[in-house]
Amino acid sequence: MTTEVAPELDLDAVVAPFRSLDPGLCLAIEGADGTPIASTSLAYPAGDAVTREILAGALVGGRIRVWGAASADGLGAAVAESLAAALAAAPVTNLAIAAQHAADARRLEVELAHGRRLQRSFVSLTPPDVPGYDIAAHYEAAREVGGDFFDLFRLRRRGSPLSVVIADVTGKGIAAALLMAFVRPLLHAAIDHTTGPSEALERTNRILVDERRSSLFITALAGRLDVRTGHLRLANAGHEPPLMIRADGSPPTWLEGAGPLVGAFNRLDVPEITIDLEPGDVALLYTDGITDASSPGGERFDEWRMLETIEAARGGSAQGLVTALADTVCAFQEPSPPVDDITIVAIRRLPAT
Amino acid sequence: MSMQTTVEQVDGAIPITVLALEGELDASNFQELIDTVRRLYDEGTRQLIIDLAGLRFMASSGLVALHSIVQIMHGEEPLDPEGGWGALHSIGGEQQTEVRLAGPQPAVERVLTRTGLDRMFVVHADRYVAIDAASAPA
Repeated sequence: MTTEVAPELDLDAVVAPFRSLDPGLCLAIEGADGTPIASTSLAYPAGDAVTREILAGALVGGRIRVWGAASADGLGAAVAESLAAALAAAPVTNLAIAAQHAADARRLEVELAHGRRLQRSFVSLTPPDVPGYDIAAHYEAAREVGGDFFDLFRLRRRGSPLSVVIADVTGKGIAAALLMAFVRPLLHAAIDHTTGPSEALERTNRILVDERRSSLFITALAGRLDVRTGHLRLANAGHEPPLMIRADGSPPTWLEGAGPLVGAFNRLDVPEITIDLEPGDVALLYTDGITDASSPGGERFDEWRMLETIEAARGGSAQGLVTALADTVCAFQEPSPPVDDITIVAIRRLPAT
Repeated sequence: MSMQTTVEQVDGAIPITVLALEGELDASNFQELIDTVRRLYDEGTRQLIIDLAGLRFMASSGLVALHSIVQIMHGEEPLDPEGGWGALHSIGGEQQTEVRLAGPQPAVERVLTRTGLDRMFVVHADRYVAIDAASAPA
């Protein structure tokens, strides 16, 4: 961001409110053609030689550029943007207001960072220990807070079946994150108190439609695995279908069959799909952050790239598969940051020894 | 990624607005689509056909847009999907006819079917079939 600087601008007055806010901010002066003339950090007093040089640069018609040096806690970018906007827009007399906006931006950044830490604590990356199975998960929020979640836990009943949930709150940002924080324990409790995943989704839907009304929906895939037999019961409410990767080397297949997404309709009527995990088989659950990921050129990652990645990584561990997919999607989007959350869960039945 | 929208008015006993989408509907532009329909509703549109023939891709945020559009056309103001919590009447399971969809490509149709949003809409083969259906007396 650049801005014309009025000749009468008192740089010290400009930077003073910001310096107390974030000494990691930097100012640079560029000539009219964009060539850098000088730069300084707000950590130095504006009266020092470098800053005076900047001021002098501004006086001869250059531009001031502002950026936030990444501080230790990774914050500062919003403050820098706010300062740049203030320099671009506000007359010098409005700097107090500009500083207030920057302070608000900073506060929000800090709040979001807290929110992100709290949210990450909901999403345990350590899968439960299930003898005979190899389970791995990956979760990465696109923004400070995300709307994806997954949940893996053993049910307190005979045989301790493994419950798996993967879900995506449509919409982004704080609203999606709040709904995620609300729905995750709801779904967990519903799964613990119902006979199967379809009924759990139905019950969650009823609670959401009756008690909470908004334009945000949840796509959710819930499964219950009998760990002794490998029998897996699945119910899909508008989510990406799970991918079955068989140990026999046959092409991976998507398990189609879904009801509508949770929260949009009074009834779900989600069909139950069942499948048996044989030794060496993998059930892969994921969110649309994988398939919808786009390259800088505007191409989507799509199912075929997903299959290609999986073919190259199949036969290995669950973690190997998850990491390969996450890394390939990440590389596909570079240098842009991901626009959507990415969540992957792989459940692999260990080959008989 | 971008999306173009084209608005066309079809005069008749029941005036119909055809909103054609071209490109990709995702998180970057779904709010704009909602705003466009809100404007059309404010300008008097009561029969809307969304022509999906030119839409190559629809992300899950497109579903939020479609749900909101139905609410706007019902005369309800949807809340800002980014804005958080608020009271809003869910549409329930019934199929409405204020908004019709026309000509979805297979990829978009798959998203509609998979997520059950096709329950909310009559989906027509193309805009002309949709216009005929919307023009027919109920």
